[in-house]
Amino acid sequence: MDDTRFTQDPPNPDAAASAGVPSRRRVLALGAVTAGAVMSIRPALAQTAGSVLNCEIPVPDASRAGSYIDADGKVVPARTKGAFPSSPRPFKGEEVKRAMANGSTLPGTDSERSRAYVKYIRRLQRGQGGFTCFASLQMPRG
Amino acid sequence: MDISVYRAPPSDGLLIAPLDEFTAVYHRASGITHLLTDPAPQILVAVQDGARSLDALLVHLGRDYDLTDGTREALAARLEELVEAGLVERA
Repeated sequence: MDDTRFTQDPPNPDAAASAGVPSRRRVLALGAVTAGAVMSIRPALAQTAGSVLNCEIPVPDASRAGSYIDADGKVVPARTKGAFPSSPRPFKGEEVKRAMANGSTLPGTDSERSRAYVKYIRRLQRGQGGFTCFASLQMPRG
Repeated sequence: MDISVYRAPPSDGLLIAPLDEFTAVYHRASGITHLLTDPAPQILVAVQDGARSLDALLVHLGRDYDLTDGTREALAARLEELVEAGLVERA
């Protein structure tokens, strides 16, 4: 493998010019970058792209901790018959996304409880715990 | 010895638009737009043709351009920036 013809060239454009390098070919400086050569512009919500799947959604949010979630996803008083206790831990954005995408159950739940929790999450509104995380999951991504 | 090869997404995965001193690259898969300055656009186009090793890429660029600082280290550093941006894959 012959890469010596490049590494032996002095990194000096003046020297190259004086050596009579044809000027019609464009000069490309591989090492002359002082600022980064790549700057990325992300859509506003995607600024959190790296953390979207790790963000958390409590069920229900902290202000209503201990309440139950009924089959329609509404928050109801604790021990309401037919409703489900709050989740002992918040769900990760990735877990919620998966459950919404293919109907799989949220971790640690059976299908009915998972369905109730997902309905609760779909009802989240701005200002409620987990809303920003939920909203981020709605972003169309390639 | 580094035997990595570098490749870019298929051409329909990127929208590339030269804008004077910058080249804007829209990456469909991530929805992210990147602004590139030389030599990044030229490197990106070179790996769009197919996967290339560092040495093959250096030879390829050397055919089209007069390279200054045309060392493996300099090219590897520029490639790393493209890999970090998600525009180039290292395999």
